[in-house]
Amino acid sequence: MNLDEAIRLRDPTRLPSRRDEDWRWTDLRGLLRTLPEPSQPLPTDAIGPGPFDGLAGEVLIVANGSGPEEIRIGEGETRTLVLRHISRGDGAHTSRLRIDVGPSARLTLLESHEGGGAGLSLLGVDLQLGADSACERLVVADMDPDAVAVVELDARLAAGAGLSQTLLTTGARRQRFETRVRHPGQGAQVRLDGVYVLRERRHADLTSSVRHEGPGGRTDQLARGMVDDQARAVFQGRIIVQEGADGTDARMAHNALILSDRAEVDARPELEIYADDVACAHGATVGALDDEVLFYMRQRGLPEGEARSLLVASFLGEVIDRVGSPEAAERMRSWLQARIGAGD
Amino acid sequence: MVAVKDTVEQVAGLEKYEHGFVTEIEQEFAPKGLDRDTVAFISRKKDEPEWMLAWRLEAFERWSAMESPEWARVSFPPIDYQDATYYAAPKTGNGPASLDEVDPELLKTYEKLGIPLREQEVLAGVTGAPRYAVDAVFDSVSVVTTFKKELAEAGVIFCSMSEAVREHPELVRKYLGTVVPVTDNFFACLNSAVFSDGSFVYVPPGVRCPMELSTYFRINAAGSGQFERTLIIADKGAYVSYLEGCTAPMRDENQLHAAVVELVALEDAEIKYSTVQNWYPGDPETGKGGIYNFVTKRADCRGDRSRVSWTQVETGSAITWKYPSCVLRGRDSVGEFYSIAITNGRQQADTGTKMIHLGEGTRSRIISKGISAGRSSNTYRGLVSAHPKAKGARNFTQCDSLLIGKTCSAHTVPYIEARNGACTFEHEATTTRLSEDQLFYAQQRGLSEEEAVQLLVNGFVRDVLQELPMEFAVEAQKLVAISLEGSVG
Repeated sequence: MNLDEAIRLRDPTRLPSRRDEDWRWTDLRGLLRTLPEPSQPLPTDAIGPGPFDGLAGEVLIVANGSGPEEIRIGEGETRTLVLRHISRGDGAHTSRLRIDVGPSARLTLLESHEGGGAGLSLLGVDLQLGADSACERLVVADMDPDAVAVVELDARLAAGAGLSQTLLTTGARRQRFETRVRHPGQGAQVRLDGVYVLRERRHADLTSSVRHEGPGGRTDQLARGMVDDQARAVFQGRIIVQEGADGTDARMAHNALILSDRAEVDARPELEIYADDVACAHGATVGALDDEVLFYMRQRGLPEGEARSLLVASFLGEVIDRVGSPEAAERMRSWLQARIGAGD
Repeated sequence: MVAVKDTVEQVAGLEKYEHGFVTEIEQEFAPKGLDRDTVAFISRKKDEPEWMLAWRLEAFERWSAMESPEWARVSFPPIDYQDATYYAAPKTGNGPASLDEVDPELLKTYEKLGIPLREQEVLAGVTGAPRYAVDAVFDSVSVVTTFKKELAEAGVIFCSMSEAVREHPELVRKYLGTVVPVTDNFFACLNSAVFSDGSFVYVPPGVRCPMELSTYFRINAAGSGQFERTLIIADKGAYVSYLEGCTAPMRDENQLHAAVVELVALEDAEIKYSTVQNWYPGDPETGKGGIYNFVTKRADCRGDRSRVSWTQVETGSAITWKYPSCVLRGRDSVGEFYSIAITNGRQQADTGTKMIHLGEGTRSRIISKGISAGRSSNTYRGLVSAHPKAKGARNFTQCDSLLIGKTCSAHTVPYIEARNGACTFEHEATTTRLSEDQLFYAQQRGLSEEEAVQLLVNGFVRDVLQELPMEFAVEAQKLVAISLEGSVG
């Protein structure tokens, strides 16, 4: 099972399937009988505006898999980058971008995933964070309903580094965000948040694994989402505390709202602990909107649709409250509000 | 506080594993190895009807084509299924008609294990003392079942599985394999082919079983495995509480225990199933020996408003692979799972439950307390799922793990699948070690470190102990203390 090889060799038998435990809810082999042709190059001059326009001087574009392959942020530098992944057509492509953040540097990465057509894409970022550096990665994914996409982040932190991530997605035909973090402990901090708003027959999968390799690390994770119609959300979070990673403090929460009888939420919050001096906890809830609260709001004169959308917005908005960059948070909040809608 | 005093005395006077003795008794074995002849041999020994043999043989064929599962977080060398004996029984001719005919060695064994086989012994003492009927399974056969007569007066059938196959074939055929299908999994399939004995319980409609039923499983023979099969049916409006206990001698070899337990609860029925599992855990230093406890337990809440509750205290076995589950089919049916799993030494446990919500308004509750010490590994693995028709399904899950020492590990792997908009699932899990403040406080009050740990651990598992029937709760509390012996300092 290897998606990268499957695409390169155009071999559908290498696609991950439900028989692979970590892919049981995001089956690609059952979905794709054949692999599409490689994507055609996409000219970047006719690309419209993106969700983070105007927030950074530098805009990097990865169009149908081609774009920059390496970015370096020098020691002590502070940068904000917009990174747009744009896919069109029904081909298949992969891309891999390496980002090196030097010691004590600060990077705000504003990433978007746009389009997707009816194709298949595997987009990856390798992130190296130097000592005492910090990176906030904010992702907004607005893909076409027929797209199949896997977006990966492999992050490796040095002592004292901080990684914060917030993902917002409306899903696709099948879509997965997979975040893998190697956490050295030693004062390093990780925040991995996510929000999904899924309607129709869309699917989104937020998968993460954080490996605590040294003592005194912190990980904090909050994922929230809503599913409506026949949509399906998947949350898989794994926190591993290796032997010797004492004093680790790791918390994970996933809360989902199901708004339709035919929608589905699957979750697997996992803890794998090999050290005894730790405080690890996870919580997961799945449920509908509280009828009593709705009733109360309607009693106060709010139409039902509006009451519902207010409740959903405040429920999901708590994730945005944790975003560090205020301008980007504002942009994400209005983006999210538009996706939740005013209710019907 | 007699119980507490008792516990302290018990713990003080204990060897590491008190049930590790072997009973020297003349036994009869099936030839070593596993093929169609072995299956036929077991069936013949048990004097089974033709349909039962056919059922076994079909299971054997299916099993031959299956592979041993590898997904659990346990590791063990491949098992050579040809290098074991699948039937071992004390030589007693056609089975004793009364206790007087039972081999005195066997009686002594049970006396040593503290299992009351004589009804008058159970009755001795204060009037109104709780009574419970016992089915004692020694290797592959049931040696005695007590209180059968009194239970029969209430209409309750409580006998060994072999007897049920002969005496109540209609009930066995109707229910056997309907909860755990023959090909459900590798070990269940193996069990279906070679199962030896176990208990059969049928409680007729509207009957509240007049006493606790219990089975005591004992592995004695070397080089053998135990494959018991238990089937409990609570008919409409019936109630039964069933207890199960297990022990085995200390040996250097690993012995396989692959049981299948099926529970069927019809409308308004309630089954309470409690287990205190204390199989030999293997040598704590080297990890040599011990029982492989690969068990399939499942309850089918078939009727509306039926209720099944699993309570387990897992302290023994080298490896535990066990997920007592509830299929909540009936409307408003309820499933509960309360578990304490303790691993010490080099034990490995991968245990949990599945709550499968199929019917409307079904509810379930999972409380799991895992404690790892020594060099052991303890995994909670569970599934809670609601199908599209299970409107109003509710689940509450709490799994807490406690780590004692730096060389053990604890894992939590819950699966949650919600497939409709009207279900509410709540899951929470924590992993911590014993609080140093609390330990310090307890020691300041004059408790030794070991006593302080025991006190805190007892508090940690209290929610589950409370669910156990009285006699078992006391025993379980002792076991918790014993299992953790030597884990401090």
